Amino acid sequence: MNERLGKRVGPYLWLLPSIALMAIFVVFPIAIVFKLSFSEVSKSGVVGGFVGFMNFTDAVSLPAFRTVMLNTLVWVIAVVGFSTIIGFIIAMVLNQKFRGRKIARAILVFPWATSLVIQASVWNYIIKYEYGNLNNILLNLGIIKQAINWRATYQIEFMWECGVGIFVTIPFVTFCVLSGLQSIDGSLYEAADIDGASFWDKLFNVTIPLVKPSLTVSTVLNIIYVFNSFPIIYTMTKGAPANKTDTLITYLYMLSFYDRKKGPATALSVIGFLILCICAGAYMLSVMRKEDEQ
Amino acid sequence: MNSSSTVKKNRLALAMLLVVVAAVAILLSLPAFRFNSCVYTKKSPNTFVGDETYQAVSAEVEQVAEELRAGGIEVTVNETVTERTNSKGETTSLVTFTINEEFTKNGWSFLGAGLTSSWVLLGILACLLLSVVCAFLGTLPCMDTSYRFLDSRARMLRSASCLLALAAFLLVPVFFMTNTYTLSRRVALYSGGIVTEGKEALYARLDSFLFGGAAGENIDAALKDLSFSNLYTLWAILPCMLVAILAGIQLRFGTIKHALLRGLLYGFVIVLCLFILYPYYVMLITAFRSNAETTDMYFQHIFPTEWKFENLKHIINQGVPRYLLNSALIAGGATAIALICGIPAAYAMARMKFKGKKMFLGFVIMSQMFSPVVLLIGISQLMGTLGLNDSILGLMLINAAFNQAFAIWLLRGTFVAISPEMEQAARIDGCSVFGSLWHILLPMAAPGIVTTLIFVFINSWNEYTISTVLISTAANRPITVGITQFSSFNMIEWQYLFAASLLATIPVVILFMFIEKHLTAGLTSGGVKG
Repeated sequence: MNERLGKRVGPYLWLLPSIALMAIFVVFPIAIVFKLSFSEVSKSGVVGGFVGFMNFTDAVSLPAFRTVMLNTLVWVIAVVGFSTIIGFIIAMVLNQKFRGRKIARAILVFPWATSLVIQASVWNYIIKYEYGNLNNILLNLGIIKQAINWRATYQIEFMWECGVGIFVTIPFVTFCVLSGLQSIDGSLYEAADIDGASFWDKLFNVTIPLVKPSLTVSTVLNIIYVFNSFPIIYTMTKGAPANKTDTLITYLYMLSFYDRKKGPATALSVIGFLILCICAGAYMLSVMRKEDEQ
Repeated sequence: MNSSSTVKKNRLALAMLLVVVAAVAILLSLPAFRFNSCVYTKKSPNTFVGDETYQAVSAEVEQVAEELRAGGIEVTVNETVTERTNSKGETTSLVTFTINEEFTKNGWSFLGAGLTSSWVLLGILACLLLSVVCAFLGTLPCMDTSYRFLDSRARMLRSASCLLALAAFLLVPVFFMTNTYTLSRRVALYSGGIVTEGKEALYARLDSFLFGGAAGENIDAALKDLSFSNLYTLWAILPCMLVAILAGIQLRFGTIKHALLRGLLYGFVIVLCLFILYPYYVMLITAFRSNAETTDMYFQHIFPTEWKFENLKHIINQGVPRYLLNSALIAGGATAIALICGIPAAYAMARMKFKGKKMFLGFVIMSQMFSPVVLLIGISQLMGTLGLNDSILGLMLINAAFNQAFAIWLLRGTFVAISPEMEQAARIDGCSVFGSLWHILLPMAAPGIVTTLIFVFINSWNEYTISTVLISTAANRPITVGITQFSSFNMIEWQYLFAASLLATIPVVILFMFIEKHLTAGLTSGGVKG
């Protein structure tokens, strides 16, 4: 009897520490954010009564709301899109056999392993107008005669931020695709060669379908990381001028910790959370379906 | 391949090499740079265009110009007028007459100039010529031998030929770089009085190179207004060198197609690696520059003029060791907590059957999606309630919780991949569940556990956003927050910022290189496989 009870309860006991940790530090904050978003919150953070959707209407009617949402969309699509394409190409190249491949792969790890604040600071320095390293090198090479202002307008600044985002995201995509590529059976290519398939035939009919699972994992995870990415924009522009380069996450931070508008900030949190939930849900369904197939 | 076609191909390749040499010789004798230098200046104050003084000075200047032209120097006379109102309210005007000399220099003249770029150009030519000589020496004695059956001497000579041509190719941009550097930036540094070391020697060389020693005393003024433009004829050497490389490859490998693909591959990889390393190079050299050098473009060389290792001492006095220690504590604690909670959960997920397993898996995958950033407000509120605001323990727990999903994900993949038979055997021998987990499974799963460990460690080490919000006391800052103290709103001390960044980056990059291989396998397949 006791043993049977143990068998029943046992697995849950094994899970308990993990569940407790996540319940307190992941689920609880979610609940708090939801509760706050429907409450009146004063500037100092004192929580008042239930106010319905007022925080949400406040958030949507903020002057920067549209810009910020649009920026977020551009940010996610540009960074995830470009880094996926470039990362895929790099993975194809690194999958070839050549001398120094191990070194190349080790170097490719660098941007992944470096803290985003540090990456962003370095690029911030590189593209400085007055003394940045990029201008310096181009001047020395004689390619340009006069220093170029690399951050003349906020659109260009935002493009630089996207560029840094792409730079740091590429390694993750590359390694995901690489692990997919390495699991492909070489005999498939031999068979394709016998059938006289061209490079492009092999790419679209063998490689891509077989790498697709890895690519899906990396793309979905990247959408989430990039959506949540905070340090690059915060370090390079702090959203300036006038929230023109903010994404949802940085705007939310500014709103809550600088402007002290906690109410609308929590509403934005909930909006962001729901967007993530949709992505996560889609991802989970695809993973679960694969589990079922096996 | 029959021998006559080999002879034909070899002949073609050698001919190509000769053509390249001829082409380079021709390109070097074409004008490469156009210089414009001011050889004479006459300032005439209180002069208005067209009045008497103007006429007189103008005639004087014309005469000087005529004399110069008689001496065979091509000059143009220019004048600029500056008008301003003096303190009495009268309008005054200053007319400046200058005589400019325009001349061009070709590649050959650079060879004798004794500048840094001259040596580089000499190197280019030496490499090219040696490459051709090697190719001939390696080919002429065995014209009809297919590249497959070459003796080792011919093989080596032909390889050397390829590499020398490649070296010549790579030196061409170096030539332009050193040339521009000497003629514009170095001269700007000297004439601005920023640097004086080595000025005399360089100016003497430039005088004899540019003006044939005519400038003498006036060399300062002459160089100050020197402007020059690249006529791009020397850039045309690049494609010539490319042809030389291809010819060398043809000799060495019998075909260029394969080697060209290989070359493209290596080229791509090298460019990629250089691009990735570029910000790290900037970080490294800036960390050891002096303060003045970091913010002055004219000062910047490829390497610091003086390696300032005091920068490290400075940041150590500014509390950086404390931040590094905090980071280590936070990351270490978070890793320990994540593993202590994660290993049992992953074990249960991998080895046991129970109701709600799927739901838990779903929950794990879902929670992997939530970065703490979107929940910032909730987390800071929660930590306030728990009294963990501004504490290292709070950051440990948060990092552990948000890495929990990844830890379970990776560990479960590792456990599933290990066959349960060994554990079952141990259990039959009377080992407890814990015993079999501890003595059998964990040692076997060591690589996966180390991977998880390092991954969680690095994630926590690099975490920035939550720390900025939660930590307000300087003594509790992790390094990612600590480095921002060197960049205030109006003044950034780049050298300290990057010196601290360097210390924060090196350990994690090394750790990451260890697990890179296991990690990707775990991320994409380990968790999904089941």
